[in-house]
Amino acid sequence: MSAPAARAPRPLNLVAELTYRCPLRCPYCSNPTNLRDFPDALSAEDWARVFREAAALGCVHVGLTGGEPSARRDLPQIVAAATSAGLYTHLVTAAMPLTAPGLAVLKERGLRSVQISVQDAEPKASDEIAGTESFARKCELARETKRLALPLTLNVVLHRRNLRRVREIIALARALGADRLELANAQYHGWALANRAALLPTHAQIEDAARAVAEEARLGAKPEILFVLPDYFRDRPKPCMGGWARGHIVVAPDGRALPCHNAAQLPLEFWNVRERSLASCWADAPGMNAFRGEGWMREPCRSCPERARDFGGCRCQAFALTGDAANTDPACALSPEHARIAASHAEPARGELRYRERTA
Amino acid sequence: MSAAAPSAHVDPAALERRLHALLDERYHDKHPFNVRMHAGALTPDELRRWVRNRYYYQTRIPIKDGVILAKSEDREFRRSWIRRITDHDGDAQREGGLELWLRLADAVGLDRREVASLRNVLPGVRRACDAYVELVTNSDLLASVAASLTESRAGTLLGLRAAAFEKHYGWIAPEGLAYFRSRTTQAPRDAAEGMAFVLTHARTAADAERCVGALAKKCEILWALLDAVEWGGAKPRLAPAAQLRESEPLVVLPERAVKLTGSGREILAACNGTRSVEEVAAFLRARHPGAERVERDCYDFLEQMQKQGVIEAPA
Repeated sequence: MSAPAARAPRPLNLVAELTYRCPLRCPYCSNPTNLRDFPDALSAEDWARVFREAAALGCVHVGLTGGEPSARRDLPQIVAAATSAGLYTHLVTAAMPLTAPGLAVLKERGLRSVQISVQDAEPKASDEIAGTESFARKCELARETKRLALPLTLNVVLHRRNLRRVREIIALARALGADRLELANAQYHGWALANRAALLPTHAQIEDAARAVAEEARLGAKPEILFVLPDYFRDRPKPCMGGWARGHIVVAPDGRALPCHNAAQLPLEFWNVRERSLASCWADAPGMNAFRGEGWMREPCRSCPERARDFGGCRCQAFALTGDAANTDPACALSPEHARIAASHAEPARGELRYRERTA
Repeated sequence: MSAAAPSAHVDPAALERRLHALLDERYHDKHPFNVRMHAGALTPDELRRWVRNRYYYQTRIPIKDGVILAKSEDREFRRSWIRRITDHDGDAQREGGLELWLRLADAVGLDRREVASLRNVLPGVRRACDAYVELVTNSDLLASVAASLTESRAGTLLGLRAAAFEKHYGWIAPEGLAYFRSRTTQAPRDAAEGMAFVLTHARTAADAERCVGALAKKCEILWALLDAVEWGGAKPRLAPAAQLRESEPLVVLPERAVKLTGSGREILAACNGTRSVEEVAAFLRARHPGAERVERDCYDFLEQMQKQGVIEAPA
């Protein structure tokens, strides 16, 4: 294994996208829309090697995600490999096809914590967004997680159709005993960008939800609630991934090592862990180095005092909305292309959703 | 936000409704610690911790009222407002609120000299109370008066408190409750005066915003004070989700990691679920007798660790 170049920072987190298969069809899924170009190319043994190499690079945590990681039948073997590499093993699941006995097996293999997604507090609305009947199973698996004494994070993506039920969502998280609730405002990538007109909320909805969250958070310690104002509603971009190729390595189902899972859509060269060591993919792939640090920045980022805080925002959003990934993220009010974000707020709201294709 | 024209008229009734709505939502009568106090659920130790720490707030009141006095050019205003200082400090004719609070300290079994020395005030309480004096110092007269409008709920709260103490905490001698009783009449009178001043002097939309902002900040301060009192007695331990790395000063949690600096690891190791935060600080002090700021650093660190989910304190 070659030593990483001096310029590559230490990653703390590995995002292991085990498969893009998923029984759910959420219309805001941020997975690539060309799912068929990403076969499950890594065996459990390949993943075991990736975990060992990640630990050697300095990673301390792995998020097993997808798609739906439990769509892989060798998940217990993969969990065991992550644990024996010394990584804190965190599972991100839609609770299907994973079952309660299946979860107990994963705990035996060393699983440390679980995140379960729910689409809404209202069963029918949740199932409608998921594109499949799943709400009851999700609640059941959440209860099983607590019975097994595993820390539970509940994740709910927020959008026009469920924002008004944010208090009910918090009540659901409390009822299920969640330790943490991620209220993740939809990010407009992948399928979500295709469905933006149907999902983008109004300013009033966001403000009401933010107020409700602040009130609820004041009244009780648990769950810890994460609610970040979405970048479409702020005048500064999000510090995407904490900076390009800075603290997180994503390995996609096809084996490509990426700085974030949307980056596969960019016209950049990333390397594959089937062909090279993870250290080399991280330190030396041209794509990884394309936006590392600040050298790539143009104005207005280059001289901006906030560049160390937001890293110029999201490269994938810059690419998707302006056609050039090196531009300032248009979510920033200082971007000459900021009008594109403003225009999206003026788009007429659309009713129908385009669902993610079914892949499992 | 569009700037209001200087002549923009403020409807006093609408402003009063906004201020009351804010208090409905954020006044500390809803704080879990107050809720437990009034339901009779506090232990004697918890009550003592509250009495000892809240005394620091009492001592700040005449100081902030002195600051408010110094902001006014109006003799009539000062003549009236100065009564608040006498209410707390007392005069030749009668004892003031500070003395009555020390009688409460006596009644709950604390040493009044220890309480009056302010030696053992929790850092979080000190921070919250100092933030109130700072808020008043840095605001204009109008906003400083608006910050005092939490008094409009204090009369009701203290009436409830006196009754709850009689009912649930029979071990406290009735002489100890004189402070609460005195405030049930003083606070509504003061609040009426403060509200009238605010509604008369808030003329522009910007004035109204400053008043609402100052009152919101004051509510936060009272809330933070109780958070700190509650936290002082918590018995923290490493959260089940947290994994302390053996090879480096790093705590790993779901989807995040927290780097430890200084004596962070040593403080975390002392959090065994049986020591309270106060006791953890005392434990660290005993190990580092000569070091500066051990207690303060310890409290600050543990507060951060709690916010980040590294430690938890089961009720």
